[in-house]
Amino acid sequence: MNKILRTLIPFDIAKGLAITGKHFSKVFFTANRRKVPLHIVSEYPEVVAKVQPRYRGRLTLLKDEQGEIKCVCCLACEKICPTQVITIEKGKKEGRKMPFPVRYDFEMERCIFCEFCVESCGFDSIILNHQFELAAYNREDFSLGMEGAGQNMFEPSPVGKFSVAED
Amino acid sequence: MPTPTLTQSIVITLIQCLLVVIFVFVVVPLTVFAERKVLGHLQQRLGSTRVASGHVGITGWMNRGMWKWGRIPVLSYWRGIPGLVADVLKLILKEDILPAKADKFVFFIAPALSMVAAVVVFAAVSFVPGVFFTFPAWFPFVGGLPVSGGIADINVGLLWILGVASVGVYGIVLAGWASNSKYPLLGGLRSAAQMVSYEVPLAMSLLAPVVLSASLNFGEMSARMATGLPFWGLVPQILGFLIYLTCGFAETNRLPFDMPEAENELVAGFHTEYSGMKFGFFYLAEYINMTVVAALASGFFLGGPWLLPFGLQGLVNPYIPAALSWFAEPHAIFFVVKIIFILFTYIWVRGTIPRYRYDQVMSVAWKYLIPMALFNLLLAAVVRCFAV
Repeated sequence: MNKILRTLIPFDIAKGLAITGKHFSKVFFTANRRKVPLHIVSEYPEVVAKVQPRYRGRLTLLKDEQGEIKCVCCLACEKICPTQVITIEKGKKEGRKMPFPVRYDFEMERCIFCEFCVESCGFDSIILNHQFELAAYNREDFSLGMEGAGQNMFEPSPVGKFSVAED
Repeated sequence: MPTPTLTQSIVITLIQCLLVVIFVFVVVPLTVFAERKVLGHLQQRLGSTRVASGHVGITGWMNRGMWKWGRIPVLSYWRGIPGLVADVLKLILKEDILPAKADKFVFFIAPALSMVAAVVVFAAVSFVPGVFFTFPAWFPFVGGLPVSGGIADINVGLLWILGVASVGVYGIVLAGWASNSKYPLLGGLRSAAQMVSYEVPLAMSLLAPVVLSASLNFGEMSARMATGLPFWGLVPQILGFLIYLTCGFAETNRLPFDMPEAENELVAGFHTEYSGMKFGFFYLAEYINMTVVAALASGFFLGGPWLLPFGLQGLVNPYIPAALSWFAEPHAIFFVVKIIFILFTYIWVRGTIPRYRYDQVMSVAWKYLIPMALFNLLLAAVVRCFAV
């Protein structure tokens, strides 16, 4: 009996219509106000895109308080990377006990942004930053590193707020 | 008031046709735009806020100008409007491809058929009872003559409307068959079954107003349904309105019943092989059909050119004070507002309910809607017999 009633009287449809109607009226009456927009999509090229905290952008090397690179060349990220986009060359530096990455190459054109490298890192020395615009005009622009023309592994590098190790 | 001669009345009718066509071709693009915006709002987006060429061309220039003009979001909100022009330009300029093995004549005639069937229905729709407006005396040839609120005052207007509207099925079926391809054929077959099935409860739900008002003329029906009913006349109208609206969604192939062009199963259904302005005609015909269904719904159920729906106007009218008598009289603006509301409902339902399976569509028609429409007809007959 209940089932027949639910079939004949479209309660569920009414419920769905109420929800979407609420969304419509909220967005419609606040879309023209700049302070409290209720629509969740921004007008991207004109307005800077806001990314969520868990957004996975470009791989970035972090530095500690003294300005030293935190990476100690344990090669965990290079081993776990499913597409082998990370290449690290171990080296020595004066006045530093830990090994120092002489070369840290990252080829973004093959990267799938899985964040395994960041999760595997035991020293919180790399993050995927919040850069939204990752496109480039040349293939060469995607091979990043610490030196030379591709010396852009460090900036823009926000502080690793959302580190996995902290959780 | 002078009586028009034959030529004068022909000219007046032509002017009426022109007005109706202008009305249709203003409402349809705005519906297309509103569909994008409203669907966006239903999903907490803004809808179309730009055209595809954001940085080049006339529209790109307009967009940049609007944005530079002080970053006023109100303007930004309407920035999708040039997209309408872009759409029309694209449809007109696109190459018109004819499949090699297609039946050329039928392929050509199908979009025209569905378009004509959609537009011609408006002949029997009366926008306002009596005189719509009178030409001023200085007007050449027809000065001082009245223009009635509908093009043709047909005695059996409802029969005309239902008859012509079901010709629209041929457009879709022939398009599917003439394309000589599998997806369009499946879409055409589905539409044949679906539209013929839904024709039955649609006509039955429209029979209730016929029984209640004892007329088949559109203007007379809407007048009697709005003002000449007792309190009990409300019940069959509300139920009938819901049935009619459901069948109307199915008749115009809108979601949740858009089986003929189920794009996840059939590529685009019956118009897969169509491109250019032939596809544009199908597109236009769909939206004109929506307007027609909205016009019928507002005429028969929502009180037509009167303010209040479901025959409440006749009950409220004696209590309306003389100062507010404007609200007691019929006006074309009420009719248009109701049409727009129902068009909004179309988009609202589209943004809410997912598509039905094909067997569900059929079972909704035959197992639920037809018995309910019969019950509604019985209610209307009882009301007519005992209460009117």
